[in-house]
Amino acid sequence: MTEASQEKPDAAEEDLRLIERVLGGDRQAFEALVRSHERRVFRVTLAVLGQVEDAEDAMQETFIKAYRHLKQFRRESRFTTWLTRIAVNEALQRRQSRKDHLPLDESSPAQHRDFPQRFEPWAADPENLYTKQELRELVEKAIRSLSAIYRETLILCDIEGMSAKEAAEVLGVNIAALKSRLLRARLMMRDALSASFEQPRPFGRRVVDTAAEVKNMMGMVLMRVARR
Amino acid sequence: MRMLSCEEVLANLSDYFDGECSSEFRAQLEDHISKCRRCRVVFDSTGTMLKILVDVEPFEVPLAVSARLYSRLQEVLSEE
Ligand SMILES: [Zn+2]
Repeated sequence: MTEASQEKPDAAEEDLRLIERVLGGDRQAFEALVRSHERRVFRVTLAVLGQVEDAEDAMQETFIKAYRHLKQFRRESRFTTWLTRIAVNEALQRRQSRKDHLPLDESSPAQHRDFPQRFEPWAADPENLYTKQELRELVEKAIRSLSAIYRETLILCDIEGMSAKEAAEVLGVNIAALKSRLLRARLMMRDALSASFEQPRPFGRRVVDTAAEVKNMMGMVLMRVARR
Repeated sequence: MRMLSCEEVLANLSDYFDGECSSEFRAQLEDHISKCRRCRVVFDSTGTMLKILVDVEPFEVPLAVSARLYSRLQEVLSEE
């Protein structure tokens, strides 16, 4: 969980004010509530379902359920957390009923590569290498390259700011499994983004690396020769 | 201080970023990272990746999707 993704406290207070108004019969206030949360709900349903059309349906149902059950919202948790739970449940139900539903096997061969695989340092300020739009596209592409269990874990923990415990609970997995998914998700994301963010390779170090590689290859060659 | 292996560093990377390591383990991990280039690269870039993830706020709601959401809600709410 990264702190920057936490909501500002005044946003949570504004939510509570809006909820009071909705419960008093003010439908406009619900629209304001939806506006401030639609992006988060969409991201969460997309994380679980992977397709915009499915995410859209799940998002609509999430807000309809939230409206109908608003009286049941207890103030001991943040509204954001409560709403995110509804969104995840809605999306998970849809995924389970989908005929083509994605294999959730953690050991599927495509995901079984060992990470990390890239070890070149990133540029000092990689965000300056791209425009905001380019940066977003790079990140979205990398997230889409993850399979569902890693994608949803990364988004809930590292974008929506849920703790590992909260995310484990809403996704219905134990905390050890959640944590191992989160670690893999982060390392895969790092690898996926590395090509775009690594600093240009200084010529000098490349020579050293090459020397090491040559030595390594020479060793392998000699071994092969010795086996003949 | 015991020198951690690269595997131990990697296995505990998430806990480190989430502030779930003991201060003793934190110190061991930082010591390893100061001496091991590969782990330092993975550590630094993972931290940068986490920051970028929050900064860019990926996945905007497409305009048409948002418009359909509001019209659906208007429909449902007016029936209740
Ligand atoms: Zn190391």
